[in-house]
Amino acid sequence: MGVIVKKVELTWLDRTYVWPVMKGMGITFRHFIRQLFTRTSKRYTVQYPEMKRVMPAGYRGLHELKRFEDGAIKCVACFMCAEACPARCISIEAEEFSDLNITQGFEEKRPQVFKIDMLRCIYCGMCEEACPKDAIWLRNDYEVAAYDRLSMQYGKWDLMNTYAEADGKARITEDTTPTVPRRAITPPIAS
Amino acid sequence: MDTLASLLHTSPAIAWMAVKIVIVFGGIFTLAAVFTWVERRGSAMIQDRIGPNRAALFGRIRIIGLQQLLADGLKFLFKEDLAPTDANKGLFWLAPFLAFVPAMLGFAVIPFGRSFVSGGTTYHLSVLDPGNGMGMLYPLAIGGMAVYGVLVAAWSSNNKWSILGGMRASAAMVSYEIGMSLAVVALFMTTGGYDPKDIIAAQGYLPWHWNVVPHFLGFIVFFTCMFAETNRLPFDFAEGESEIVAGFNTEYGSMKFSLLALAEYGHMMTASALIATLYFGGWQVPFVQNPTVALSITSFVLKLVFFAWVFVWIRWTLPRFRYDQLMHLGWKVMLPMSMVNLVFHAWRMSQGH
Amino acid sequence: MFLAFALITLLGALGMLLQKNIIVAGLFMVAAFFGIAGLFVLLANPVAAALQIIVYSGAIMVLVLFVIMMLNSHEEEAAEFSRPIQRWLSLALVLALAVGAVKLVMASKGVQELAVRGAATSPAVTLQGVGAVLFADHLLGFEVAGLMLLAAMVGAVALTKRNL
Repeated sequence: MGVIVKKVELTWLDRTYVWPVMKGMGITFRHFIRQLFTRTSKRYTVQYPEMKRVMPAGYRGLHELKRFEDGAIKCVACFMCAEACPARCISIEAEEFSDLNITQGFEEKRPQVFKIDMLRCIYCGMCEEACPKDAIWLRNDYEVAAYDRLSMQYGKWDLMNTYAEADGKARITEDTTPTVPRRAITPPIAS
Repeated sequence: MDTLASLLHTSPAIAWMAVKIVIVFGGIFTLAAVFTWVERRGSAMIQDRIGPNRAALFGRIRIIGLQQLLADGLKFLFKEDLAPTDANKGLFWLAPFLAFVPAMLGFAVIPFGRSFVSGGTTYHLSVLDPGNGMGMLYPLAIGGMAVYGVLVAAWSSNNKWSILGGMRASAAMVSYEIGMSLAVVALFMTTGGYDPKDIIAAQGYLPWHWNVVPHFLGFIVFFTCMFAETNRLPFDFAEGESEIVAGFNTEYGSMKFSLLALAEYGHMMTASALIATLYFGGWQVPFVQNPTVALSITSFVLKLVFFAWVFVWIRWTLPRFRYDQLMHLGWKVMLPMSMVNLVFHAWRMSQGH
Repeated sequence: MFLAFALITLLGALGMLLQKNIIVAGLFMVAAFFGIAGLFVLLANPVAAALQIIVYSGAIMVLVLFVIMMLNSHEEEAAEFSRPIQRWLSLALVLALAVGAVKLVMASKGVQELAVRGAATSPAVTLQGVGAVLFADHLLGFEVAGLMLLAAMVGAVALTKRNL
């Protein structure tokens, strides 16, 4: 199976080599001038610490553990994410919580420890896919870096507060006692 | 000048010489260093990038990244100085100097401004005064020595890629020197002298009388050969980083590498000064018959910087030739072209022009 | 000045002879050429100095080193057995040559005239002067040399190219 190479017939001017060189220099000079007189904000390059790339929707960045409006964690410690994780970076210890004033409708399980090793995490989003409660989201923060290994171990409270500032929510450091049942026993009547 | 001479306990002539040497070599050295930055920044601009703009003094004062020079210099100074075990240590150390010294020396005869008379003595603005008998032969001779830096660096590294680079460089340089010399000989003929002062004086102040117009063919040959002499991109066979790692400076690191790199830029400066002197009227200012000294120096420096920029510009426009294309171009195109140029001008002179 | 250049020349030549490594020897030779160029400058003949550097160090030595690198032999083999007679013979010969050369120079007309006149500095040789001498006084010799070199070049090409 031979490939027929088309020979390009060069014109006399092209064969002198000087003229094509001039043309090429014209092109490079046009680029030079254009780049020189473009404002920094309009250039292709993102000047990182000052300018930050706006990530598209669906970008898989740093994780957030979602919470209810009253601050309680949405996670029910079902271990689905830990199972799904191909990098095995999620470790969960579950606890029962028994503040059962209003027993029914409350999840009775929540993570006591929820750790993600960000050094191992590959940001694949499998945990997000696996979660039955939509309690873990990968969002748009990509600046996950630290000076030592220990600070790359994100615990439960770190993960719950990762986007607190961005969303304008309060930082929480302890489990809040739920006041209202999460789910009615009977489904609400559609009006 | 006399006060300086009395301060230094020397004669005015020697003091003037010292001042000239400091100005010229300091200037060339600085320009060469600045051009390492211009090269990076310019190439970035040509490729729609931004380039090194972040180096800052005390972490805040940034002048479009010019401090990159200082940062690079410091980094090179403090890097570990390694030499390969099987290298020829003496020559390995000698090579950067062999490359650097000719690059700096070649500038010596080129006048960078108009001569002026002050207090009964004439001051010439070139390190070696005109009429030294060496004239334009001197930069050519020094340029011929430049290949030893590359050759010695290549051979002493004891590395097959380096040797390949060195051999390519030496072969290319020898074959391009002939075409270049013939182009320059045609210039000597029409000028009737070979001193840079005569060449500049013969060109006058009108741009269409500059040598580039009557000697256009010779200019193309000389310009191309200058690229081969400086080992820059369309002809950078000594380095050829996509083919032979980094060619002759594969094994070099730290300040030795820095010297080799600076030598390349120094060559660039000398080459652009030569082009400006031989073909573009040296310090002559267009349309000004008797320029002031400051104006003539400015004109020369502007020409020099422009041609140095053309070197950078061409580097980021053209791809590298193949080796056989280089030889083809050198022997079958450049040499006949400069021959034709020479014969044409000889014929023209015989017709009484 | 003369002493410095003479020393560079002599040391370069000596180094070239004694050095076992061919390439280092070649570089010593370049140093010797440099010294000779310096001596030419001192003799008020900068053109010859420039040509010395351009032609000998700039072109010929580069080619020689190029060929040496191509052949790629780094160290010369040591002689199998030394012959002391050779050494003494060479020394004697060199001495005789040196004495003869010095005598010849001293006996030459130029030096004797110089002794009479004192060392008057002649005007510096220029390229124009060299050209005039070559093409006016010694035109025949120049052309013959050019023809010989051309013949040598053609011969070299004919020898290396098997099928022309």
